[in-house]
Amino acid sequence: MLGLLLRRLPYAAVTLFILSLLVFAGGQLLPGDVGRAVLGPLADPRAVAALNHQLGADRPALVQYGEWIGRFVRGDMSQSFAFRAPVAPFVGAALWNSLKLGGVAFTLVVPLGILGGIVAALNRGRLLDRAIVLVGLSATVVPEFVSGIVLILVFGIGLKLFPISATPPPGAGAAVQLYYLVLPAIPLVFIVFGYIARMARAGTVEALDSDYARTAVLKGLPRRDVVMRHVLRNALLPTITVVASQTGYLVGGLVVIETLFHYQGIGSLIYTAARGHDFPMLEAGIMTVGVIYVLSTLAADMLLAALNPRIRAGGRA
Amino acid sequence: MSAVGLPAARRTTLGFERLRLLLRSPAFLVGLGIILFWVSCALFGRLLVDPLADDILNSLAPPSAEHWFGTDELGRDMFARVIAGSRDILVVAPLATLLGIALGTALGLVMGFFPGWVDDVLSRIVEAVLALPLLILALLALTALGASNATVVAAIGLSFMPIVARTVRAAVMTERNLDYVAAARLRGESALHLMGFEILPNILPPIVVELTVRLGYAIFTVATLSFLGVGLQPPSPDWGLAISENYALIGGGYWWTVLFDALAIASLVIAVNLVADGLAEVAE
Amino acid sequence: MKQFKSIDALRRGLGAVENDLVDEILAGRLDRRSFLRHGSVMGLSLSTLGGLAGAVGLVAPRRAMAQGKPGDTIRVAIATPAGAVDPVTVADDGGLTMLIQAGEFLCVTQADLTLKPVLATSWSHNDDSSVWTFKLRPGVKFISGGTLKADDVIATIDRLADPANASNALSAFKGILSKGNARKVDDLTVEFHLDAPYGAFPYVVSSDNYNCIILPASYKGDYEKNWDGTGPFKLDKFTPKVGASFVRNPDYWGDKALPDRTEFTYFDALQPRILALQGGQVDLIDQLPVIGGQALLNDPNVTIIREKSTAHQQVHMRCDAGPFADKRVRRAMALTLDRQKLVAGLLRGYGEIGNDTPFATVYPSAAPTIAQRKQDIAEAKQLLEAAGVGKGFKVNLTTETYLEIPQYAVLLQNFARAVGIDIELKIESQDAYYGKAVFGQSDWLDSTMGITDYGHRGVPNVFLRAPLLSDGSWNAAHFKNKDYDALVDQFGRTSDVGGQRDLAAKIETLLLDETPVLFGYFFDYLVPTRKGLAGIPPIPNRLFLDRAGFV
Repeated sequence: MLGLLLRRLPYAAVTLFILSLLVFAGGQLLPGDVGRAVLGPLADPRAVAALNHQLGADRPALVQYGEWIGRFVRGDMSQSFAFRAPVAPFVGAALWNSLKLGGVAFTLVVPLGILGGIVAALNRGRLLDRAIVLVGLSATVVPEFVSGIVLILVFGIGLKLFPISATPPPGAGAAVQLYYLVLPAIPLVFIVFGYIARMARAGTVEALDSDYARTAVLKGLPRRDVVMRHVLRNALLPTITVVASQTGYLVGGLVVIETLFHYQGIGSLIYTAARGHDFPMLEAGIMTVGVIYVLSTLAADMLLAALNPRIRAGGRA
Repeated sequence: MSAVGLPAARRTTLGFERLRLLLRSPAFLVGLGIILFWVSCALFGRLLVDPLADDILNSLAPPSAEHWFGTDELGRDMFARVIAGSRDILVVAPLATLLGIALGTALGLVMGFFPGWVDDVLSRIVEAVLALPLLILALLALTALGASNATVVAAIGLSFMPIVARTVRAAVMTERNLDYVAAARLRGESALHLMGFEILPNILPPIVVELTVRLGYAIFTVATLSFLGVGLQPPSPDWGLAISENYALIGGGYWWTVLFDALAIASLVIAVNLVADGLAEVAE
Repeated sequence: MKQFKSIDALRRGLGAVENDLVDEILAGRLDRRSFLRHGSVMGLSLSTLGGLAGAVGLVAPRRAMAQGKPGDTIRVAIATPAGAVDPVTVADDGGLTMLIQAGEFLCVTQADLTLKPVLATSWSHNDDSSVWTFKLRPGVKFISGGTLKADDVIATIDRLADPANASNALSAFKGILSKGNARKVDDLTVEFHLDAPYGAFPYVVSSDNYNCIILPASYKGDYEKNWDGTGPFKLDKFTPKVGASFVRNPDYWGDKALPDRTEFTYFDALQPRILALQGGQVDLIDQLPVIGGQALLNDPNVTIIREKSTAHQQVHMRCDAGPFADKRVRRAMALTLDRQKLVAGLLRGYGEIGNDTPFATVYPSAAPTIAQRKQDIAEAKQLLEAAGVGKGFKVNLTTETYLEIPQYAVLLQNFARAVGIDIELKIESQDAYYGKAVFGQSDWLDSTMGITDYGHRGVPNVFLRAPLLSDGSWNAAHFKNKDYDALVDQFGRTSDVGGQRDLAAKIETLLLDETPVLFGYFFDYLVPTRKGLAGIPPIPNRLFLDRAGFV
């Protein structure tokens, strides 16, 4: 296990390094400059030049990148250009918000998805199976803002059951915060449900068809026991991979939900920073999403290795 | 791997067999029907309705016999806009998909064909880009490029490139060491010929499956980008754009300015996926 | 007879320019509002002005302004400040709203465009308006402890006029006031020596130029650390990107603020602000555009404060190249607009029609005699025919996603179609549209046709200069006309309203003939509040909350 981790970590570091380089290079293509973005179109060019100079944004691109990465590897995320204050608290607050929303969505969708997949597999070929597969498939492909709008119209404005903003009043307790996050989390549940259910169904089908399950049934064990003991674990294996692959999205890709429900997460932080030429903020946001992606992929691999001895023996997954 | 290498007659029968299976799947037929409906709206919609004509003094009228879906803030007929709104997304999304598949296939061929440092370097880059959610990637690209139909095609195409490349690379890896490639190599064919004329035809099936899957994502992404204001631009009657323009109104009870567009998007993406799923199932 | 006598008594104390103003009134050419406004530029105290106005029979219409009770907490939804709250750099609505809570100006532009003395008690100028003298209010305490002195005012203005300082006010001072030209006369008197005579100078250091909040000379550039100022409120708590709250400043020099507390919550988009007001989480929203704001305009629980403004969207047409190089084509385009319909439809009546000049009728200097341009398709067609493009042509209109501009663009497109002008729209993000904001690197300044937003100003001078002068840095129309430049220069130097009106008539006639820019309408600022909230002055884009309270 430790060996696997040690082998994979350098790769992860290289991936993140390349990502930071790509974002920096891409950032050079953004129209305008940070001085203009802060001071607005009507400001005097001399003032714009002065601000760019103060911020160091008028230096050669590679010098700026060198300074940034030098600080980053020492754990310093630099100062925001727009807010002229350390980036870390902004990223920290946004990440915490994203994790809360992503967490609520996860807690709802993982059990639902696995349950749906297993039920579908146990009813293979029947109407219930088809219904689950079809609903899962459809829910996955409908954009979040479409389902979000319909949910807002029905539950927020029509029935007035839920608030239609994800941001609770200041000082709200955990329960209230949770209440505010339910409606925004549902479109995410829709998106991810199909993936998980599909993988759980496939895993279950495979397990049900396997020799050991058949043997167990032939031995006269009750079906419920067979399912609980053998099938569930096998159904979970592929599901873990899917869950891990969706983590990046569930934490960093929620710009739409954050826009629709007025929520300050990491996705809208990245987008705002890009539009404002706030390069240190943009890099910090991107690196945060990158780290989460790399870590969740790594965690999934470790978990798979732990659950499945064949992979552990086989080395690189 | 595929029907390649089978006698021609056998292939045709297989094709017919598959078609028969497809036509027996109600999900596939429903999906196909919806797509055909929206495609004909895209082709002929503007001959029947004018999505741009404004009647500003009759704005935000609720659905009525005259305006079936009501009117928007400029007094434009929402029914006309929903019908005509299918056009841009049905042009932009397939083009973006084709671009992404073309770029990704080219990159994947190179990666798979040149193991060693070329593959290593490119794989690291692809891996790094895949660390970002697709939407963030497209959003950043559009912030840099500026929003227009052409840049949306480019941004989504580029965003699709790495994931397509990874699929294609895997397919090339298995083909690369097969006999027919070795034979061609012995004949002294160039690398370009080997990739383009020997390997590519043999990995087409997974690419086609990838294409249908990507098309669904492309529609999803175009609609989403338009909703965020960086995709299709006014005065396009595009559905995502319409929702973005009108959703501030929903608190006032003007539900008709967003609901029909939302349903239209949902119907199109679901239909495309029903068809893609049907095709994939039959292909197995 | 008795009336005239009392005027004479008042007149004896006045200079030539002020007496000219009185003549204007007596000749019936000025209404009360314009009179007060002009008097206030000249630093006449409001009591003198009131006396004059009373003497000539211009009695103020008594407006029963409801008064709220003291001690409330006022909760406000505003746009998220785009960056650091720093008086030198702030350029956005959210940021400026934050600045003016604890910060104060020498004078404030009122709803009727008059200036109210705040930190200055009066001001006066020399014969050619090139030197202005401001008397400061004695005994004003900064929140950080010191007392307001001439040095503080000079340091504040110099900081903003310094090209090395990233100052957002620099373009407002350009050609008017340079660093080092504010001089101390005594501890409570400051003299401004202008680069050139300028009749409307007090507006340049008023709340019109929102960066000019007066800070102590010792200010270090760390506004977010101390939120210093002299205002009726002082900061309680500030969380970037989330919100801020203020409490009453007990040491305020004037009437103490009515509310105990004000709480600002930041929102990125309009829709959640609307929902927050409807849901009762806030008591007012900073500003509501009509497009997208319909939900609140019809809400019975909401009162809309309507603030007449001179804000507008300029439609520029390139005068130096392309189809609009011929002024007949530009006039033809202008004649396609149904302006009544624009105001009634696009603005739901919350605005006034424009006449293709920056002179909104609320400006006292606007010439009253110029005929309003109306839709005339037949004449437009004739003009196009005469210009050799009777069959019409294709042209690109480039613009930004901001307020109702995309919708305005769509309406222009439909208007122009009637005469065969086929407008292709290119609507971009604000960053992309403005680009580097210099010629050659900006869609705004380089496009053949475009729409650009301009905020409210207390005098038309800014609108007349940078967007239209031959060497103007915002001259997207590339309009170059020596006669116009000379007229505007003269207008800037003129401080009596009669002279201003004569010049305005010439400028307006010239602009109607040339039509480099379409001014289709001027829109009102709308501030939606919860029913029962009173005491918010209807000053466009300046949210002063010290008199706010629930009835």
